Amino acid sequence: MMPVVPSSRLRWLALAAAVVGVVLTTATVETAVRPHRLVYQLHTLDNGLTVILSEDHSTPIVHLQLVYRVGSKNERAGRTGFAHLFEHMMFKGSRNVSSDSHLTLISRVGGDGNAFTTEDETVFLETVPAQYLPLVLWLEADRMATLRIDETTFEAERQVVKEERRWRYEDSPFGLLSEILYDKAYAVHPYKHTPIGSMEDLEAASVEDVQGFFDTYYVPENATLVLVGDFESAEALALVKKYFDRVPKAQHPVPRDIRREPPQTGERKITITEDQNWPLPTVIVAHHITYDGHPDAYPLHIAAKLLSDGQSSRIYRRLVYDDQLAVSAFGAGNIIEDPNLFYAVSIVQPGRRPEESAAALIGEFDRLKTELISDKELERAKNQFARDYVFGRATVEQKANLLSHAAVIHDDITTADAEFDIFMNITKEDVRRVARTYFTEENRMVLTILPPASAGRSFLRPGGDQ
Amino acid sequence: MRRLTAIVVLALAGVAPSAAPQTSDWPQESPPAPLPAREATFPSYEIRTLANGLQVVVVVHDEQPAVNLRLMIGAGAAADPDGKGGVAALAGQLLDQGTTSRTASEIAETIDTIGGLLSVGAGTDLSFVNVLVMTDSFELGIDLVADIARHPSFASVEIERQRQQVLSGLQVSYEDPAYLAGVVFGRMVYGDHPYGMPHNGTPTSVLGITQDDLRAFHQTYYAPNNAQLGIVGDIDAEAAFEAAERLFGDWERKTLPPPPSAELPEPTSRVVVIDKPGSVQTAIRVGQVGLPRASPDFLAFDVAIKILGGEGGNRLGSVLRTERSLTYAASADMASRRFAGDFMAKTDTRSDATAEALRLTVEEVARLRRERVSRFELQNAQAYLAGSFPLTLETPNAIASQVLESLLYGLDLADLPKYPERINAVTVDDIQRVTSRYLQPQRLSIVLVGEAAAFVDDLPGVGFDNVEVLSLDELDLSSADLRRSSAGSGVLRAPRLAP
Repeated sequence: MMPVVPSSRLRWLALAAAVVGVVLTTATVETAVRPHRLVYQLHTLDNGLTVILSEDHSTPIVHLQLVYRVGSKNERAGRTGFAHLFEHMMFKGSRNVSSDSHLTLISRVGGDGNAFTTEDETVFLETVPAQYLPLVLWLEADRMATLRIDETTFEAERQVVKEERRWRYEDSPFGLLSEILYDKAYAVHPYKHTPIGSMEDLEAASVEDVQGFFDTYYVPENATLVLVGDFESAEALALVKKYFDRVPKAQHPVPRDIRREPPQTGERKITITEDQNWPLPTVIVAHHITYDGHPDAYPLHIAAKLLSDGQSSRIYRRLVYDDQLAVSAFGAGNIIEDPNLFYAVSIVQPGRRPEESAAALIGEFDRLKTELISDKELERAKNQFARDYVFGRATVEQKANLLSHAAVIHDDITTADAEFDIFMNITKEDVRRVARTYFTEENRMVLTILPPASAGRSFLRPGGDQ
Repeated sequence: MRRLTAIVVLALAGVAPSAAPQTSDWPQESPPAPLPAREATFPSYEIRTLANGLQVVVVVHDEQPAVNLRLMIGAGAAADPDGKGGVAALAGQLLDQGTTSRTASEIAETIDTIGGLLSVGAGTDLSFVNVLVMTDSFELGIDLVADIARHPSFASVEIERQRQQVLSGLQVSYEDPAYLAGVVFGRMVYGDHPYGMPHNGTPTSVLGITQDDLRAFHQTYYAPNNAQLGIVGDIDAEAAFEAAERLFGDWERKTLPPPPSAELPEPTSRVVVIDKPGSVQTAIRVGQVGLPRASPDFLAFDVAIKILGGEGGNRLGSVLRTERSLTYAASADMASRRFAGDFMAKTDTRSDATAEALRLTVEEVARLRRERVSRFELQNAQAYLAGSFPLTLETPNAIASQVLESLLYGLDLADLPKYPERINAVTVDDIQRVTSRYLQPQRLSIVLVGEAAAFVDDLPGVGFDNVEVLSLDELDLSSADLRRSSAGSGVLRAPRLAP
């Protein structure tokens, strides 16, 4: 166990200065209200579990978040969707908890429990009245150490996940947008598939896969436990140790062998037709970008604000308001652990052509390369960031999200607060530089997804020329 | 964005037999005892009523340097004029698209430049303006709320722009099984009562809305004596009330029209299938008329419905998901509004399991009335509802929502801090009494949206002989029988629009 005092200096901040030439001063930005800093302790148990404790006595509740650093990008070929399917199995019982009673035990004390799986992480969370902290720690330790795995419950849960895929993605308008986009954009990196995976692979998964995944990834050294709420840290730490010290250390190091995506070398233009649940033509302009924590990531976030935050943003103003090319249009970077995409989407207004949307979106990306943004736009984006920072830490769950993200994805908990100054020091030139780096023609994909020719009740298709 | 593709597991309850653990020396033990309880009290707030009738609620909360302003107008889609479905929604949507002194672009520039958030719109019983600003922009924020609510311009060019957005949005919605199931269910339960009409109207009704309709709606219902203003966050209470008086004090009181008098139809057994070929699932919705929010039986009936399909209970989830793996989610909920309410059980299942999932759902509704709930089930539901009270007090917004909702529905504010005790006072007899009184399992409204060919032949086998199957082209939401009267003039065919 090693208490760590958060350092005020970040390794990647130094990197940012070196690479970008940013001058880091104690600059304070007058226009933005500063969010309050998070106060926390960081510990590591002997078995490798990372523990973050942050007291917040404003309401008598506590939030627990247990993040396993495994997501859909850790899935092997032929097993897409497995990390998420496994997440479901974590509710099917352990030595002292019978199948499906985990959430009952939590709701019975007035708490809420949940879990989700992303490309990079699998997260289990509970918010309970403060006095039930021992219960949630005990529940999480029990399943980390002794998950019960059997054929019957696995088969039952497989069917539930298939229903989830049908409901959330297959029968929902535009529900398969991400799946199509990532499949087209990636060649080899596992971001090529989304966390829900394919029906075929869900069907192929076996109970042996479940045991292997559990033994490999659900180990203390691959997990980060965050507690935020109404507790005394010393007492909470003692409870954490009581329940988690007895979880055995991993037998083997956690594998981190993710295939790298080769650079894209030429513009790609793809048009496809979707047979189901595609009410309107859709244009996506996507570029490969960098990873979360890279110095370029911050100006890219600013670019996303300029393009898409609020009705005065460039994409909304041009495509939705002025030219009325789109019913809805937006753009943002999916800036996560490995290099992902920055993409803009236009749901094409009936009577308008997809080509107009594609040209307008590309035009907006190009403008970021050719013109410096205005001082006013930069100030606006920074104020919007300050707002996101302030409102992104209103609840114990949000605070835990920030801490776990900094600790797990950045591998540096100090970023939870320190990114604020990075954003406030971004310049117009930074934004132009990253636009020129990533929003290039050879790094671009223009994907058009059309409804079936027969689709559409004509009531809203004024042009009727699709 | 980093959780763009997050997948969430819904809360479900259930118990299965134990099996062998993998860590042999792991102790066998019961869940640990709780720590000493920490008291949760409803935070303080203050309400004052201006001379013109505007109720102002202030909740001071300085944890974050921001203020949230929420103006609620007590009229929404339920106040749409006959045949003008969508007026309240379109009026709400146009609030931030220009006032007599600011253009739409100026409003957008103003709020975005200060890093604020602005949202406007309308629900069933209310219309709203919400503004979120950093503490140092409070004055600008409240000025914006007042201007938007009091002086919208409803300019023709903005009306056409937003009309097109609504129509395009409907085009998407008409391919969304969840939307279709919801609006068809509303028509079946409420008949011609205003609560049964789709909020955004239908393509035909939206095309018929004029500038005069919008202005008349605003003139009639947007009034201080029909509104509440919440000021929540890092601000001095006196300064908040002073600003409210300054910005809203000269807003003229109006004589409000009487509430809708339309009668609710008697529940009748009816099964409607909306055929959506190519669907891989069927959206199943089952329910009937429930209770208005202010009913003295609301709390007991709400607990009953939670046992059927809510947190802390959820028989539907246990049967349909845990036991049978027929769905990802099954739940039941109340929609209790000012003048009436409904309850609805919902689930979505693969097409070929539709009849079986429907049978199980209807059986659980019937069982809720037929059998007394067990004390254990009631205690679990109460434990969740009463126990989660502290979780509902975390943010100033959550606190303000509870106060504003009480004002909107005319509830007793003194009940807010007593919620846990009131929940715990509900008895098995109370549940029995309200389910006997309000549940009529032989007269349910049932909607199935999916590929009809995959399941209609199975429906008689589970007790549903009389089934109406409609294609999307035959569906007319403006008609109580849901069916277009003649080909070619239906709601889904409308004149061409200039984009």
